[in-house]
Amino acid sequence: MNTSSVPDLATIGLLGFGTMGAGIAQVMAASGRRVVVLETDRARLDEGFALVGASLDAGVTRGRLSENARTSALARITGTTEIRDLAGVEAVLESVTENGELKKALLTRVAALVGEKIPILTNTSALSVTDLAAGLPNPARVAGLHFFNPAPAMRTVEIVRALHTGEDLVDRLFALVETLDGKDAVLVKDRPGFLVNALLMPYLNDVVQEYDDGLASAEDLDAALRLGLGYKSGPLEMLDMIGLDVHLHATEAAYRATLDPRYAPPPLLRRMVAAGMLGAKNGQGFRTGEEGGR
Amino acid sequence: MSHSRKTVAVVGAGTMGSGIATVMARAGHTTILFDIDEAGLRRGVDTVHGFFDNSVRKGKLSAGQASAAKAALKGTTSLADLASSEVVVEAVFENLDLKKEIFGQLDEIVSESALFHTNTSTLSVTGIASGSRIPGRVVGTHYCNPAPLMKLVEVADGRHTADWAHRATLEFLGSLGKTGVVTKDRPGFIVNRFLIPWENSCIRALEAGLGTKEAIDSAVPGALGHPMGPFRLLDIVGMDIHQQVATRLYEQLRDPRFFPPPMVERMVAAGDLGRKTGRGFYEYGDTRLFGS
Ligand SMILES: NC(=O)c1ccc[n+]([C@@H]2O[C@H](COP(=O)([O-])OP(=O)(O)OC[C@H]3O[C@@H](n4cnc5c(N)ncnc54)[C@H](O)[C@@H]3O)[C@@H](O)[C@H]2O)c1
Ligand SMILES: NC(=O)c1ccc[n+]([C@@H]2O[C@H](COP(=O)([O-])OP(=O)(O)OC[C@H]3O[C@@H](n4cnc5c(N)ncnc54)[C@H](O)[C@@H]3O)[C@@H](O)[C@H]2O)c1
Repeated sequence: MNTSSVPDLATIGLLGFGTMGAGIAQVMAASGRRVVVLETDRARLDEGFALVGASLDAGVTRGRLSENARTSALARITGTTEIRDLAGVEAVLESVTENGELKKALLTRVAALVGEKIPILTNTSALSVTDLAAGLPNPARVAGLHFFNPAPAMRTVEIVRALHTGEDLVDRLFALVETLDGKDAVLVKDRPGFLVNALLMPYLNDVVQEYDDGLASAEDLDAALRLGLGYKSGPLEMLDMIGLDVHLHATEAAYRATLDPRYAPPPLLRRMVAAGMLGAKNGQGFRTGEEGGR
Repeated sequence: MSHSRKTVAVVGAGTMGSGIATVMARAGHTTILFDIDEAGLRRGVDTVHGFFDNSVRKGKLSAGQASAAKAALKGTTSLADLASSEVVVEAVFENLDLKKEIFGQLDEIVSESALFHTNTSTLSVTGIASGSRIPGRVVGTHYCNPAPLMKLVEVADGRHTADWAHRATLEFLGSLGKTGVVTKDRPGFIVNRFLIPWENSCIRALEAGLGTKEAIDSAVPGALGHPMGPFRLLDIVGMDIHQQVATRLYEQLRDPRFFPPPMVERMVAAGDLGRKTGRGFYEYGDTRLFGS
């Protein structure tokens, strides 16, 4: 990567510094871009910086990153709680909490500040990009740019073409992803779950149902699919990682949008979320509560 | 790992039988490989020997270990030679009557305490066990292809499988260095139960134009940590095998997710079975599947 030349979309206005926002900030900063991150308050900003710092540190420890690269990447990220500090960014990338009303309200305000030309990108997993774009002036400059968790590690980035997304923007996004270290872009339709999650969600639901039906223990289900198919993680440990509530929300949205029974949340998933079992984040899930569990 | 050396018979010297015999001989068990077909048996024994030769070339076995493993293996076309077997692993064609008949014949030949393992992928363990006078000794042990390289064995008891047989099976698999995962006698066990609908849904996504095969094969592993994309995997498995397994599971489950999408039938009709025919979703110059 050439950090001496100025990349296209050189300053990214990033909205949200949570799990995904932190990963995306790191990826963008590592590509030589400046990142201005908007959060709701100082504490959330601090948490985001801590996440980026820890992830970069891990890169240094593993010898994948120089101390220098770490420092300069961090230096390219600035945080703010004021929308007006986003003036002058060359693209907006939204990765706030998965809530349609929240995203629409925030994007309306940000769009009014940055003007009609600046590309607006969303990292939403479960909402319709077309729907988010429809409320904004010039929807042709709106597209999905969907990363996978953890963003610095996962190679795939989905470019979501909404009904009004301009071809020139799609081309620019392919070029953008080319400049991100180790990333490969795939162009996908604006359908529930886009491409990867549309395939993944029915599989995860199916595993949860069979688990509830006693096909095998959680540990054995994961072991069979890891060893039999060479997957990095089994489906139930993956669900713990994703967050049971996050998956429930996404698969419910896909079910509402399609009425396809493969997306219907299995009853056990709903019960676990109702019982406050959210997966790795609170130490209660399919695998995380286990004796000697991972 | 310390374990007693056993006499193990493998019935059927095809793809799976030869792979399973390799596992047995490598673990130090006296291994009798049986096939009704003389030529099939010879191919099977050659496959096992070839595997050990390759392991020596790759530095995974010493020359001494390889010749000991080869010496542990005997091939036969006479069922009577299986008399001293303590464990019999059945890996003949996927045909219920044939598998039942073999266990019935073996009842007359081996001791009452011998374990019977079936490697069936899609038939019921209970059904196969009904071919033996002692269904309590029959356990499903589903190996993955290629058996010498894949650690997973799915273990499924039939309705009448005895506790001792279940426990002895897990212990035996441990002695082979395999990971036995306990599941139920349900169609597809775990891996095929989830793999078949997964592959079908990827094929349907391709049919629906949600992405090119290259795009899907790149996006899926890059997002989910799979070792390869769905179409690369199907080319290795073979479209004919996918069609057979999917159809058999569909016939039992009547769940449309298992039914092979039209593209599968088209590819099989065209002879585009995957790597073994040089063309499937992709083109291959080299039709060899696994180095060793
Ligand atoms: N977690 C995943 O696996 C994953 C993967 C791909 C995409 N996504 C998508 O990424 C987005 C973010 O998900 P996450 O997992 O990072 O969530 P998160 O809860 O970790 O982070 C969301 C952040 O947005 C902030 N936020 C909320 N309202 C805001 C506002 N008005 N202005 C600025 N910041 C605001 C929150 O304070 C929080 O820090 C969602 O749309 C989600 O669907 C998530
Ligand atoms: N190929 C796979 O990937 C795979 C994986 C797991 C399980 N299985 C299962 O393993 C079994 C064998 O499959 P395969 O792919 O090795 O088949 P195959 O066709 O390669 O081999 C079957 C062998 O059985 C022999 N045979 C037939 N009738 C016999 C008899 N009466 N006595 C002795 N030998 C007889 C045949 O001559 C042949 O050599 C099937 O039940 C299959 O479902 C296959």
